[in-house]
This record gives sequence, structure tokens and C-alpha cells, in this order.
Amino acid sequence: MIEIKDLHKSYKMGSNSLHVLKGINFKVEEGELVAIMGSSGSGKSTLLNILGMLDGADSGEYTLDGVPIKNLSETKAAQYRNKFLGFIFQSFNLINYKSALENVALPLYYQKVPRKERQEKAMQYLDRVGLKPWATHHPSELSGGQKQRVAIARAMAAEPKVLLADEPTGALDSKTSYEVMDLIQKINDEGNTILVVTHEEDIAHMCKRIVHLKDGVIVEDKKIEQVRAEQYV
Amino acid sequence: MFDRDVWQEIFNTIKTNKLRTFLTGFSVGWAIFILVMLLASVNGMQNGFTNQFNDDATNSIFVRPGTTSKAYAGFEAGRRIQLKNDDIEYIKRSFPEDIEYISARYYANGTARYKSETGSYSIQAVLPEDQIIEKTLVMAGRYINEADQVNKAKVAVIGRKVAEDLFKKEDPVGNFVEINGLPFRVIGIFTDDGDDNAERRIHAPLSTYQRIYGNTNDINTIALTYNPTYDLAKALEFSGRLEDLMKRRHKIDPEDQAGLYVWNYAEAFENISSFTAVLKGIGIGVGFLILIAGIVGIGNIMVFTIKERTKEIGVRKALGARPRQIVNLVLLESVFITAISGFVGLLFAWIILAALGPMFQTPAFSNPSVSASTVITATIILIIAGVLAGLLPAMKAANVKPIVALSDK
Repeated sequence: MIEIKDLHKSYKMGSNSLHVLKGINFKVEEGELVAIMGSSGSGKSTLLNILGMLDGADSGEYTLDGVPIKNLSETKAAQYRNKFLGFIFQSFNLINYKSALENVALPLYYQKVPRKERQEKAMQYLDRVGLKPWATHHPSELSGGQKQRVAIARAMAAEPKVLLADEPTGALDSKTSYEVMDLIQKINDEGNTILVVTHEEDIAHMCKRIVHLKDGVIVEDKKIEQVRAEQYV
Repeated sequence: MFDRDVWQEIFNTIKTNKLRTFLTGFSVGWAIFILVMLLASVNGMQNGFTNQFNDDATNSIFVRPGTTSKAYAGFEAGRRIQLKNDDIEYIKRSFPEDIEYISARYYANGTARYKSETGSYSIQAVLPEDQIIEKTLVMAGRYINEADQVNKAKVAVIGRKVAEDLFKKEDPVGNFVEINGLPFRVIGIFTDDGDDNAERRIHAPLSTYQRIYGNTNDINTIALTYNPTYDLAKALEFSGRLEDLMKRRHKIDPEDQAGLYVWNYAEAFENISSFTAVLKGIGIGVGFLILIAGIVGIGNIMVFTIKERTKEIGVRKALGARPRQIVNLVLLESVFITAISGFVGLLFAWIILAALGPMFQTPAFSNPSVSASTVITATIILIIAGVLAGLLPAMKAANVKPIVALSDK
């Protein structure tokens, strides 16, 4: 599903440049649930940005679902993001003047799905994260866990190939974190490919594979026995 | 463009920043208000001028004698020129094609008395055709006719004010008014659209007055109207020919500006037209300059809005919003605010003009108003202004990197 070969990325900081990613080789198969771990400055966010087509690599190859991702125009990148990727953010990033339903429907709007169809589909996904009764509520009326579930529904609404979650539990207490991870595991059980960036050990162990980043290189890549979040809920 | 989501977003931004939107919108509304008021004022001035000129037929030419300033044909400078009755015949004979009506005038002052009422009035002794040239409206009785002229009849057509002053509630027509001691029969009363002063005059036959003043043939002014089918160029050409001819007849140097005055209304009319055109230009210019301030204001609010919504725009881009869609959103919002506030300004100006405009009826200023073309122009200007105001901020918004949304923790 995802294939990265010898990926390099550096940032110019005035006169000296900061080499953030120093040759990453990395492969993700369909249906995997991968945790990307590392301390701050390890390059995990940069890696996620490149995977999310929000930033370009200096050198190296990136193939997503067989499509080479290189030198994309803004418009093309927007199209690919819409088609291939679903984002889940630490701070949820819901649009606060739109109801839960409208937030979920937003990626479909950019796919030019007709309004009625888009609302039906959004309602379907909202139901899947268990928030159908909250469809007309605005983000300010929802709890943190509910907001993240709306965000997950939004990420899934466009039926992307890969879900990218950047510290999805970072702003949540542990109980809610497990609820969200339970949801992510269930979505993964249905065959969706998910990448989770986290620095929390317990969250990482709820994935099926942990990739450890340190100083711009992968220092450890292991498959693990998944801890089901269900038991903590 | 008529997407519910787009409008929802625009209304939301406006709703969350009510005061800010109002203040910036106000600057645009104010600018349009001033622009429209300026144009309406120029319009009012134009109306005023036109009305003043309508007092006399707009195709009229006046010939007045002066004093020569140059020696010519054996005559010294400083010679007074005197027009005579035969000048009229001469002009008539010389320009049979060009002249529509012609009249000569002889001016005098007189004290008029009826019973115990007296008053001092200017007396204008004229030929019958003067009525048409000066657009004199007879409201009772009749004007001077050919018979009066031939018979040197002591008849008078008095202005409305004169009738009010002297006759109070009596009907003047048929009664005798004493002018400088001589009885004149009042044959009519006239009004004049131009001004009240014209209505304080007394018209009498030219021949009558020439006899009273010592059997002269002297006249003070020749007034005539030319063929109304003439356009400006032809009218000017005709008055040029007339001037040349009269100067030759009275032996005035063709270059002498003081010997004879030929005053063509068409010329003045043209001057007024170009004058008001310049005023209009200035009005539009000033209005535009003020509008620019408004546009900058709108641009400013849009920059702020985008700064505040950077994160949201980033999220949208992460969800697949194309740069075009972001640009459209910002532009539409800008055009919307500009157009609405501009229309409010336009509406206010229009209401004020509709309410107060008809109250202005002074000679130099009358009925200021806006035409449909002004409204349409203003609308187009507003939409362009909105686009201009939104353009830079929109491009800024389109360049927002979605990374911002992600990295902002």
C-alpha cells in the first residue's frame, strides 16, 4: 500500500540546514495498523507530513497504492489527499460552526458528491462511530472523545486508502483514549490501513506493528502482539 | 457560486465579526454614498444651468454694440457703435436661410403709475417676434403684434410682478398705466420661467419708444434665433459670418473684440457642457479615491479573516480542498461584503436625493438626482472593487500550507 525508498528531507534554518530524515525505507501492506514512535525531533511528524502529501521529500521514492507521489501541483495534491488519505488530528480540527454531520460531509463536498447523497453517507459514518444522535450538534457541544470520533468519521467518509492519525489520543484522558483506540482497532479489523503517530507506549502497543524513529532513521521495526483496547473500556 | 456551504461559511464569518464587518462595510458604503451624492450634485448644477438657459431660446444669438478699441478704415479708436433699425433689415436680407426669428430691443427705465400705486421698472421696447426669442409666456391678454408696431401704439405688456404691484386685485388688461407720464393701455400680462426679475419688466412696441425718445432709429440690441436644425458647428459658423458682416457694415476692425459683441448661446451652452463634464470627472475622481480607501479596508478585513482561519483553511486543504475553491470562497465573501455595503450606501443616497432633491430649485442648482446609468455603473464598480479587495487575501489563503493545520498543536 505504502512504499518508501531512501527518503531524505532537510530543512533550511538560516545558513545551516537541518537533516531531519536520513534515508527512510519503509513498507506498509494493506490492512496494517502501524504505530510510528519516537521522541520529539525524531522526524516522525515530518514523515507523516510527507506521507500525507503535505510536504515534499528532497529525495527518495514514495509510492501510494501503486501511484508514484512526486512533484505534485497543489491541485493534484489536493485531489490525491482527498482520494487516498484520511487525516485524524490531535486537536480534532473540526470546523466549529458546522454541525457534526456537516463536518463529516466536508470531504465528500470536495469530491463533489451531491448534497443529499453526501448527508446520507455522512450520517452512515456518524452512525458507525456511534454518534448518530449527535448529528446536529456543533463541536462545542461535544466532549473530547466525541469530537475525535466525529473526526474519525470525517476521515473515513471519503473512503480513503490510508488513515493517517497524528497523536489521535494526545488531547484525551486515558479512558477516552482507549475508547478512540478501540474504534481505530475496529476500523482496522474491517481491513483499513492505518498509521498512528504516537509517543505513548500503551497506545503503540494497541497497534500491530511499531516503527521506532530516532534522529531521522528507523532504529526498530517490529510486529507485536496487539493489545485490544476493548478490555479497558 | 450558489452553493449552500459557501454561503454558510460567508455568513458565519460575517456573524462572528459583526462589528468589524460593519465598520469596513461602512467605509465602502460611505464611499459610494459620496460618489453618488457628488454625481447627483453635478447633475443638479447641470439641471440648474440648463433651466437658466431655457429662459431664452437655446438657438438664440444677441448682437450688442460696443466701443471700438482699434483704429480702422480711417476711424479712430474709441468710437461708439450704434445699431439702427436698418441693421435688422440688412441682417434679414443677408441671411434669409439662417434666421428663424429676429427682434430689436430698446432699453429704457420708467416710472409706472396706476391710481395711487407707482413703481420703477425697466422697459424693454421690442418687435413682436421677441416673444418667441425670449420664450415669454403670456398669461392674460396678448403680446405686441405687427399692428402695434406699425401704428406706434401706446400699448404695454406687463410682467406678472408689475401687475401685482400696481393693480393689486384688479384686472390690468384693458386698463391704462401711466409710464413716465404717458398713458399706455395694458394689453397683456406675461410670466417668465427664468427669474422674478424678468417679471418686473414692461414690454412695449419698439416703434412707440423710438418715437417717444426723439424719433430715433436707434436700437440697443438685436436678438435673433437661427435655424433650429443647425448643430453646434453650423451655429458657430453662422454667428461668425454674422459677426464678420456686422463688423464690415459698421467699419470695425475684424480683430477688434470691443466694437461689437455677438453672443451665441450655443457657445455658452457648449462651455457649460464641458464645464459640467469636468465637474463630473472630478466628482467621479474624488469618489473613486474615497472608494479606494474602502477597498483597502475590505482587503484588510479579509487578511485578518484569513489569518484567523489559517488553521481551518489548512484542514480544508488536508481534506482535499483545491486552491481554486479557497480563492473563490474568499473572493465571494469580499464581493458580498462590498456589494451589500455599497448598495446600502447607494440606497441611502437615493433616499436622501428622492426626499430632498426636489426642494432644491435655485437658479444654479436644481433637482439633483441619480440616473439608472449611475446606479449600474456603481454596481459594476462595486463588484470590481470587491474582487480587487479580495484578490490578495485570496491568494494568500490559497497559499496556506496544510502543514500548519497539522503541526499546530
